[in-house]
Formats: sequence, structure tokens, C-alpha cells
Amino acid sequence: MNELKTIRAVGAVAGIARGYLHFLRRDLQKELESYRQQDPPLELQRFYYARGVAAARTDRLVEKLREGHQEGQAAILETRGLILSDPGLGSLVSEKIQASGLSAPAAVLQSCEEMAGPILELEDAYLRERALDIQNAGIQIAEILLGIQETELKTPAILFGEEIDPSLIIGLSQETAGLIIGSASMTSHAVILARSRGTPTLVGITDLREQIPDNTPVILDGGEGLLIANPDERTIQSYQAKMEEQQREEQEYRRLASVPARTKDGFRVTLAANIGYPEELEQAQRYGYEGVGLYRTEFLFLGKGSFPTEEEQFQAYRRVIERCENRRCIIRTMDIGGDKQLPCLEIPPERNPFLGWRAIRISLKRTDLFQTQIRAILRAGVYGKAAIMLPMISGLEELRQAKRLISQAVHSLEQDDIPFAEDMEVGMMIETPAAAVLAGQFAEECDFFSIGTNDLTQYTLAVDRGNPLISQLYSYFHPAVLRLIRHVVEQAHSRGKWVGMCGEMAGDPAAARLLCSWGIDELSMSLPRIPLVKQAVLACETDRRWADAVLSLSDAKQAEAYLKAQTE
Amino acid sequence: MRQVMLTLTNPAGLHARPAAELVKAAARFKSRIVLEGNGKKADAKSIILVLGLGLRQNDSITIRADGEDEEAAVQMLAELVKQRFHE
Repeated sequence: MNELKTIRAVGAVAGIARGYLHFLRRDLQKELESYRQQDPPLELQRFYYARGVAAARTDRLVEKLREGHQEGQAAILETRGLILSDPGLGSLVSEKIQASGLSAPAAVLQSCEEMAGPILELEDAYLRERALDIQNAGIQIAEILLGIQETELKTPAILFGEEIDPSLIIGLSQETAGLIIGSASMTSHAVILARSRGTPTLVGITDLREQIPDNTPVILDGGEGLLIANPDERTIQSYQAKMEEQQREEQEYRRLASVPARTKDGFRVTLAANIGYPEELEQAQRYGYEGVGLYRTEFLFLGKGSFPTEEEQFQAYRRVIERCENRRCIIRTMDIGGDKQLPCLEIPPERNPFLGWRAIRISLKRTDLFQTQIRAILRAGVYGKAAIMLPMISGLEELRQAKRLISQAVHSLEQDDIPFAEDMEVGMMIETPAAAVLAGQFAEECDFFSIGTNDLTQYTLAVDRGNPLISQLYSYFHPAVLRLIRHVVEQAHSRGKWVGMCGEMAGDPAAARLLCSWGIDELSMSLPRIPLVKQAVLACETDRRWADAVLSLSDAKQAEAYLKAQTE
Repeated sequence: MRQVMLTLTNPAGLHARPAAELVKAAARFKSRIVLEGNGKKADAKSIILVLGLGLRQNDSITIRADGEDEEAAVQMLAELVKQRFHE
């Protein structure tokens, strides 16, 4: 029963967590069928009792969060508390129990569903999401009634769900050490949020409920993709050292958050975040982010049957911009096509999707979609400091055309008398070799560059990194890629424009000294990479001659070895 | 019965947080309090119904209270709206 068992999974967020497994939300429908219903007065009493338990638990959690100064999460949970004790909900449930003879759990679930209905029809996308909070509150009460959550959570908890609701991940307390999201993909909303929180996470186990019981002590190893149930002394000890190391790192990162990224010789580089969802910024402060260098807007478009309206986009952009406070927030216009397909936009089959109809090329053909997006960004810009970034530009005419469309959007907003941010910076990604080579000409006509090293590397080296037969050829340390990067930085600076980088290279500590030596202005990466890169920046000294010498090396392996030897 | 009509000036409108502030404040009074806006009515003590109004910035809102402490209720809620829910 309590024997050691190792279960293989897929590691989605690295890190080690030790705690007690807690299964989320089982099949409520099945539990409802075996529920033993009593007379209406007793059912009503049960409802009030279960609601009280849920509210008390929520209140306790809110208090704990406040003590830990997690105001954002406390506010979310406080709303949950208000929903639980909502008088409108209470009277609807009581009506269903007394007049329609429903059981307490069925009445709660149905009432929450009904009350969430009108909210789902609102225009405001943010408010529509609150419908989920109401449904979740119903589930919370029903679970208590059905005895699914009889016991208090043993903490620290490792949560398991076939799917886990993103709103739940945002509201997680410190006592949740790890997550197992059975059927999520690595790029799902939930996994992205877990990653930005730095919560060790596994995906790709769906039959865990059949394998081990609730409350089993487990160790979750997100790096190796392992779940170890009932670990013995030896296993615990072998993980103990790793966990202590992890805690030390965590403390060090917290300390680093308030330290500016400056090399020993005083070169200052901005460290920014790449994000796909506004909620990712909830945890961003603790990494000490200094702005958003890349907000990928395509997540707004994915998984939807129709294009988001201007209003929906406006609300989403505004949330990101407001959360950035006075930091700069660079919003990239939709980068669809390539490996990202949309259900609502038909892209004819292409022989070479990465060389096909994608990103700005779609925007310039479907100018209606582009205008809607630009108007939404310009309007949201009123709430902070935003910039527009155009992806996949390869020719000057594309940049000019996009800028004309942006001017048109400005005019239309003026005509409609709608407030918008004037003089917003407009920059472009450098991700095609063509744009890199002609950087000087592009720099004359836009406000900034951001080097997208993932595509720039794949296009320069003509290597599809997803192809296992040739993926070893893919490296941003290839001297050809490095030459282009230096060229882009020089060309921009000679025209008084700033340059950032938002590809994976920006988050690689081994590249930090090189990029600082060339004078890069901003490095933008996924949130958990920021402290790692900051450590590298703080530890190094810029050296232009040392940096330039890498360009005379003949291949990526040599260049990488050269950079790593000098960095360590 | 007392009532007052106001315009929502805070940028978020009645999003979760301002709505929560309003509902918490309303719950302190004995009077029956109704919010009206966007062509809909809601019990001000019900967060779910208040969110369902879908009120946004620049929407107008009527606060109506009926009961022994109606005067104080209307005054306090109006103040909360005017102060943009302390955002």
C-alpha cells in the first residue's frame, strides 16, 4: 500500500516539490448519483452548513495571503468569499431545494450555472471570465456536500487535476508546492501561468487517480518529469540537498529582484519579460522585471471560433499595460501562421508554412483585422506606457505600409473622438536575415528593434529546429547569426535607436556578456530566466574586443565554448 | 426611499474589485439597496448580480435604498463611487 512508486510524466516546469498529493474536483456527476438525499429542510440545512465551511476556509486563506502581503491573490479570493455568501445565490438554492425538490449539491450547481448565465453574455471579456468564478464557487460547495473535500488540505499540497483552471492557478497559495495537470499541453494557458509563478509542474499523466490514493506523500521532480509516491528515507535524502539548493536560489533571486542589472564596469541593461497572458504579471515583481519586452497577442486569438472584437482586445491590452504601471509594455501584433494556426482564419495548406503567409504578411492582407488590433492597442495605451511591435518584416515596403495603416487607425480614432495614446513608439522585430542585413535602412523609419533570435537563427542557418535529424545544427551561437546581431545593434545605435532582444538567446546567461559588450539595450525573456541572466550580467565586465573575437571562430560549438569559458 | 444618480469614473468600471468593495459596503446596511444601470437592476448586496450589470467606465448608475438607514446607505455608496473605489 505505502510502497515506493515512481511514475513517469512530462516535466513542464522544472523544480522539486515535496508534499501531499491532492486530487482536484472528481467527476461530480458520478458523485451526485450516489448522494443520499434527505427531506428539503435537512437538505437546506446541509447547504447552509457546507456554504459556511467553504466561506470560512476562504476567509482563512485570505487572511494568510494578507499576512504574506499577497494582496493581488487575497483580493481574488475575497471575491470568491463574497460569491459564496451571496444572498441572491442563497435564495435561489433554497427555492430549488424547497420548491423543486432538488438535492443540496444539485441545487447549488444548477443555481451557480444559472446565475453565471447573464455574465457570460456581457460584452466585457474580463467580466465574462468572472462567470467561471461563480461556477467554481458552486463546485466548491458541492464538493463539500458530496464529501469530496471532507478533510482539510494536508500541506504543502501537490495538486492534481485532469485540467486545472487558470483562475485557480492565479489564486494558489504558497502552500501549493507543485502541480500535475494531467492532460495539459506544454503551451496551455495553465502551464504558462505555472511557469511564470515558478511552481514545479508535470503534465501527461491522466490515470493518476487509479494509481495512488489522495493524500499520498509524494516528491515531484519537474526537471526530470518524475512523480515519486511514498518516497523512502534514501530517496528523500537524495532530494533534500537539491531542495535546499533550490531554496537558497529562491532567496538569492528575491534579493536580486531589487538590484539593477549592471555589469562590473557599469553598463546597464534592461531585463524585461516575455508574456502571453496578462495574469503572468501577477508574480512578475518577485523576479524584478523592468518591463514587458514581448507581449504575444496571439493567445487572444487561439482557440476561438471568431476574431476577438476591438473591445475584447482593448480590455486585454489594458490589463497588461495597467499591470506594468510605468514600465514599457511592447505589444506585438498578431504573429499567426508558421506553427500557429487559428481556427477562425483559414490559411490554405502551404508547402513551407514558415516561409509562407504569416505574421505581418497576414496583417497587411487582412487590413481589417490589423486595424482592429491597432485601434485596440492605441486605445489601451492611455493607461500606461505601451509600444507597438511588428513581426516578420522582411522588406521596407512592409514597414511603410504597416505604418500607414497605423496612421489610418489614429485618424479613425480621432474622428470617432475616442481617447488613445498619441506618439506611441512603433518598432519591429528583426527575425529575417533580410531585415538584419538592411537594419540601417529600417532604423531610419522605426523607433526600435527587437531581435527575435529563434526565427533569425532558423532562417539564417536554414535549419528547422523541430527536425530531430538536423536540430543539432540549430544554434544562435553560430558566428553567422552573431555577426547579424552585432550588425543590427551597431546600425540602430548609429541612428540613435534602441535595440532589444526577445528570443531564447536573451534568456541565456552564457550570451549575456557578449550582448552587453555589444551594447544591447534590453533583454526580454520568460520571467524565471530574469534572475539567471541578471546574475550573469552582474558578474561580468564588458569587453568589446573579447566580444568581437568570437566572430572569427568558425562554428557554433567553438563560439559557445569560447563564450562559456570566458563567462565562468 | 432615497436615491442618487452618478457616473462611474473609475477606469475599470464595476470589475471584480470595485464590485466587491461596493457589495461589502452595502452589506453593512439594513436597507434594501438596488443598483440600476445598463437597463438592468441588481440587489447591491449580491456580488453575482452586481457583476451581471456589466457596468463600465462612464456608464451611469442609480443607487436606491429603502429602509431605516437609507440616508446613510446612499451617502456612503455614492461616496465610494465618487472616490473611484479607492483604486
